Amino acid sequence: MIPDGQAPAAVPAAKYRSQFRIFVDIMRVIQREGNEAKPTRILYGANLSHDRLVKYLEELKVLGVIQESGSSEKVYGLTQKGVEFLNSFRKVEAFAGAFGFKI
Amino acid sequence: MGSELAPPIWFFGFYSLMEFIAFAIAMAVALQAMKGYTLTRERTLLYLNISFLLLGAGLLVDGLANLVVLLSRFHRNLIYLSRLGYTIDFLAQLVAYTILVVVYVQQTRTWSGQIAVAALPIALLESNPFTELILIFLLVYISAQTAINYNVSRTTNSLLVFGAFASLALAHVFFLLFTIAPIFFPFAHISQLFGCFLLLGMLFRVNQSQ
Repeated sequence: MIPDGQAPAAVPAAKYRSQFRIFVDIMRVIQREGNEAKPTRILYGANLSHDRLVKYLEELKVLGVIQESGSSEKVYGLTQKGVEFLNSFRKVEAFAGAFGFKI
Repeated sequence: MGSELAPPIWFFGFYSLMEFIAFAIAMAVALQAMKGYTLTRERTLLYLNISFLLLGAGLLVDGLANLVVLLSRFHRNLIYLSRLGYTIDFLAQLVAYTILVVVYVQQTRTWSGQIAVAALPIALLESNPFTELILIFLLVYISAQTAINYNVSRTTNSLLVFGAFASLALAHVFFLLFTIAPIFFPFAHISQLFGCFLLLGMLFRVNQSQ
């Protein structure tokens, strides 16, 4: 679970992405890249600036949902906790979507 | 159900059983919404949770009240419990569906939705045996929103949710017709239970998806 403090409350989702939604987008890019995504791929895939990407990747590492590897060039992968989180999120998204609610 | 007519006596046992099943399904939907809220902190899921908790509570109270009346073999002093159960169930449904309508209005910001919410107090001023009209009014709005959602998304899950709310709306049309003839009472409960089973089907599909 993403802790309380990480998700801003009452943000109009239609206008801009919440931090929670950006976390999900980053994790989905990593999963799409076969669980080995370079920062450039994540940057384009999640549509983020370099500074924001670095900040969010650090936060996701602290949460324990992604891990960093590689010595010369950094590569990011999902941890078991991250995979389980994305699976849970997919179910919640399908449930909310069935009622017509966007997350 | 809020009228001078009594439900068919032979149906009382089935009636309670159907309400207990519907209660369990409403709780399952509420639980799923709570899981979603815990994960995402999305307020619409919290409102969905509260809405289905209220629906479940109303069904449980009505089911229990009628079960007590049945077990007392329709004792004269306990008949009022049936009416009390209905009143609590009606109020729970009223609040639950109003919450859903408000959530849809906030999401869509349509004039029709604002009119639906604005007209509610006017409808409440009319104290008459046709209180079901208020619930039909709310459920038709929710059904319309879920139909629009299905039209956009074209997913089986959204079709099941639309079918569920349409069935619940139909159930309340039957409850309204019950004020004319008791035979509509079983149809109302069958329609209500069918709507709940459609929601259960959606829950199974959501939880099976990988």
